[in-house]
Amino acid sequence: MPFVESEGRPVEVNEEGFLVRPEEWTEEMAKHLARVEEGLAELTPEHWAVIRYIREYYLDKKLAPMVRKMCQATGFPLMKIYDLFPSGPAKGACKVAGLPKPDGCV
Amino acid sequence: MTRRRKVPSAVVDSPLDTRTQAKAKEDRLPSVEDGRLMTYEAGDNVGRFLALLAGRISRPLAVSMTACVHCGLCAESCHYFLTHPDDPTMTPVWKADQIRKIFKRYVDWTGRIAPWWVKAAAPEGDEDLNRLKNIVFGSCSACRRCTYNCPMGVDTGLLVRFTRGLLTELGIVPEGVFNVSRDQWETGNQMAVTEDDYLETLAWMRDEVRTELGTEAVEIPVDKPDCDVLYTINPREIKFDPRSIAYAAKIFHVAGESWTMPKWGWDQTNFGLFSGDDRLGAYVARNVYEAADRLRAKRIVISECGHGYRSTRWEGYDWAGYDQKRPTESVVVTLKRYLEEGRIDVDPSRNAEPVTFHDSCNIARSGDLVEEPREVLRRVCADFREMHPNRRENFCCTGGGGLLSMAEYRPLRLESAKIKADQLRATGAKLVCTMCHNCVDGLNDVIKHYQIPMKVVQVLELVSNALIVPPRRKA
Repeated sequence: MPFVESEGRPVEVNEEGFLVRPEEWTEEMAKHLARVEEGLAELTPEHWAVIRYIREYYLDKKLAPMVRKMCQATGFPLMKIYDLFPSGPAKGACKVAGLPKPDGCV
Repeated sequence: MTRRRKVPSAVVDSPLDTRTQAKAKEDRLPSVEDGRLMTYEAGDNVGRFLALLAGRISRPLAVSMTACVHCGLCAESCHYFLTHPDDPTMTPVWKADQIRKIFKRYVDWTGRIAPWWVKAAAPEGDEDLNRLKNIVFGSCSACRRCTYNCPMGVDTGLLVRFTRGLLTELGIVPEGVFNVSRDQWETGNQMAVTEDDYLETLAWMRDEVRTELGTEAVEIPVDKPDCDVLYTINPREIKFDPRSIAYAAKIFHVAGESWTMPKWGWDQTNFGLFSGDDRLGAYVARNVYEAADRLRAKRIVISECGHGYRSTRWEGYDWAGYDQKRPTESVVVTLKRYLEEGRIDVDPSRNAEPVTFHDSCNIARSGDLVEEPREVLRRVCADFREMHPNRRENFCCTGGGGLLSMAEYRPLRLESAKIKADQLRATGAKLVCTMCHNCVDGLNDVIKHYQIPMKVVQVLELVSNALIVPPRRKA
């Protein structure tokens, strides 16, 4: 499997750039994934609000939250999520938040 | 005489990963306990594989096993081979021969008498079965373009699905296929969406459309009996992209449709098509048909999903053994009817950017729905242009056959996508429209990887953009 380098150490990702071991995620890693995978030069407080919520939800339930929950928790309208993460909630936001690849047609 | 340099096979060498299978056993999931969801067990898997194979040969399969004359026309139609022209293992005929030679060795009389003559051979152990897994799951998107171009009528797509089905019975499957099958068996939908999540998202989208149209009259009815339309969707619409539900609700409202969504049996997608497991195929399709019976809906309408359309509209009746007389159609056909009957009005100038259309394999080649989306697009877009080849000859988005859920085969898939990338670029369009959620992600991967300045849209979105909302439907 491929690796990405973050803070001087290699971290394993799958062929699609999702972390293999979500527990290895750090905030620096999020910035790196956002830059490489989403083309986002900088993460704004709005990005972080979404990322932190997804992370908390995942650590609690071992599942990616549905986009409805992301919007409720952050107060953002639906379209805002797609504006913040060009690849969308699954391939964009969940990836930056260090979740493994969600199962299914995504 | 010069010999061509031998190139290494591009077939991905991916080991069998049974971690989530082990977890499912440990959790004692009902589908594992009662033998619906099969897991890998050490033992005589070759013997079990051969017994399953011998017991499942239908006439169409026997034809596809025996009729191939190795003419090579299938190679010219396959995006894997066209992008790897020096690699014979990328041809559909080679891939099909890997199951054909086992059939010949154990079933066909020629191979039983003279195996060396007809190149009959047997798998020797689980390693060989795992390699077969990497061939049929990892180097074929089951797009059936080769089938369409075969002069002998060999259905390589059918052989690939058949082989996948045998391996699924042995738990020799990619982890992604196992996970999605598990969720569909356990929860009735492929993304493990709960009933609360489903109902909450529908209510949310109803409120969004109410705000947009400025009227409380908009509804997304659930389990309402005796409607004209039972609308069924792909779980990703609930989980990650409910915009398409809002577009549909808005259009149904303006068209004055009598419609409902079912509380159970709303997932029209079906991983049985990809895994080759007819029992899973039957279970999921039956859920949809029974929902329509229970609610006495006049017709089943399927949201924009390629494999869901093929499964629910065509294959599901057979898998489920269901006497399904109710009309079943894609929502694109419903939209076409609205336009023809004047139930909705549209302004194509609202979709001014050039749009091209990508035919989904399961909808065009395997679903026979070809002109209907074009008729809709010509009405709602100002600049519609074809890509070439198109219709039943279109190339796969490269994410078909469930490949989006199997990350281990992604690098090979993206290499093979060069052909799709060139095809997209040549249109000069800004938008590529497709009526399949899977193609949306497949095309997005191609566009990102090959850096093409294009955006993927679906028919519902374009119709919703162009929709003229009459004042009587507003307040």
